[in-house]
Amino acid sequence: MADFAFLSVRELGALLRQKKTSATELATYFLDRLEKIGPRYNALVTVTRDRALAEAAQADRDIKAGKWRGPLHGIPYGVKDLLATKGYPTTWGAEPYRQQTIDIDATVVERLGAAGAVLVAKLAMVELAGGMGYNQANASYTGPGKTPWNPDYWSGGSSSGPGAAVAAGLVPFAIGSETSGSILTPAAYCGVTGLRPTYGLVSRHGAMALAWTMDKLGPLGRTAEDCATVLAAIAGRDPKDPSSVARTFVAPPRQGRGSGGEGTRSGGTKWKIGIPKGADKDIQPEVAANFRQALKVIEDRVEVVEDVELPDLPYGAVAGMIIAAEGASAFDDLLKDGRLSQLTAPEDRTGGYPALAVSAPDYLRALRVRRPMQRALDDFLKKFDALAVPTRNTVASPIDKPFRDGWPGVTGGANVIGPTNVVGVPGISVPNGFGVKGLPTGLSFTTRAFDEAKLVALARLYQDRTDWHRRQPTIA
Amino acid sequence: MISRRAFAEQLALAAAAPWFLDEVALSRRERGAGGEDQAQEPSALAKALAEGVRLRYPDRFTPDDLAAITRSIDGRLRAIERLYQTTLTNADEPDFVYSVYRGAD
Repeated sequence: MADFAFLSVRELGALLRQKKTSATELATYFLDRLEKIGPRYNALVTVTRDRALAEAAQADRDIKAGKWRGPLHGIPYGVKDLLATKGYPTTWGAEPYRQQTIDIDATVVERLGAAGAVLVAKLAMVELAGGMGYNQANASYTGPGKTPWNPDYWSGGSSSGPGAAVAAGLVPFAIGSETSGSILTPAAYCGVTGLRPTYGLVSRHGAMALAWTMDKLGPLGRTAEDCATVLAAIAGRDPKDPSSVARTFVAPPRQGRGSGGEGTRSGGTKWKIGIPKGADKDIQPEVAANFRQALKVIEDRVEVVEDVELPDLPYGAVAGMIIAAEGASAFDDLLKDGRLSQLTAPEDRTGGYPALAVSAPDYLRALRVRRPMQRALDDFLKKFDALAVPTRNTVASPIDKPFRDGWPGVTGGANVIGPTNVVGVPGISVPNGFGVKGLPTGLSFTTRAFDEAKLVALARLYQDRTDWHRRQPTIA
Repeated sequence: MISRRAFAEQLALAAAAPWFLDEVALSRRERGAGGEDQAQEPSALAKALAEGVRLRYPDRFTPDDLAAITRSIDGRLRAIERLYQTTLTNADEPDFVYSVYRGAD
């Protein structure tokens, strides 16, 4: 059998169009691989074999009839197990919901199905997407997520399964979610590409809510180009999600190579990249070195502005208040009946109760402060095409220690993930090398709301010139 | 020494993104503020609010659970101070819009 494991969506699509494989062969290949390898990384919740084979058979019939549904036609994928899917449990990574079934397809799943993609797995996640305050990797009833690059280390959270599954070649792409870091972190820790869309660009209908005003769904894949292809299929207004917006996403076209070609900003000028103050100070040396080397790779196409400073606003206080209040409300049944005690991480069993001390005026104050915060951050971001930072200031944490004890002495870096999630602007993380213990590191770009095309163009420029995204872990 | 304001901000960030806890705790330690949240006696308000949580669920918590809940509330109260340092006017509304509903006739 051919080796499809680490091919991109684009490459797999080419094989399908050339009739060198079929949707059924691809589905069977990845289903078998998920069952065989997924458990090693605690990446898997449910293999959706029956559904996958039915969808693949339909995709093959359509191909035979000449009905091409687009670049995802016949491509297998997985979803974080917070997305509802007909016919299978949707467990939210949490023991209290282990038997839960929600008999609808989330809008994202519907849209991927309409695009011809084939759902092969529900993937592991941190329980309740981390909303109860976990502080170590063992925070899911499926066990701690393990990065395929070194299974003694965490795959990141809360989209732990999507990160590990893409990295191990168990799915070509997966859908994760991010409230504050849950796509970009596993992308960095697993050495894959992760794209967090602007809040509202992708419907949340059918997805577990942690914080209604901060939750975003987005793809993890091998390349920025693949992530863009997936985002184009899932973006857009959905009447079932009032927070979704009437915008679509179109992947930026490739420009001609050569002078002024691919990777050039519109008009032929250089991309203007801001580097937040302290972004690579007092972080793991390998992470800092990889960040600087990454900027060097694209230096002919970017103008770097060093030491930029985000507006001084209480991003953390606002985020903390919103996640606490909305999370406690979203899971008020667990608080009321005491089933929080069934969660895996001990700290999660009490983590929801402090939010009961949040007052309504304080929560509303946070929502009021977020308005001027949005304006200030947009005014700041519009000075640049993107901000660039190391996605995380260390490589992945060991799975057997609290996060705070994982990499003692690392105290620096610039926190961009928090502020940009509070206001809901997009970000992308691409692999940019390796650090200690053979673990991958990530490079992130962040930009203004609905400027995902810039992120994709920048990330694609970087990936056209590097091969970090093509590296494969050794699967024992 | 980390400022009270920065400390409150870090606590809030920790609440927002639990995976930041390692950085937050280490940052405090490295800057000479190690264990501030552990060593500093929670405020009377934090203790009172935690007692309110206990009374709501009287048979649910161990002393260690209550101590953790009290510390967390104390941190959140300090973060809340930051929310009120941003100047707002009466016209600054929350970032959501209520929409009236009318069903089919």
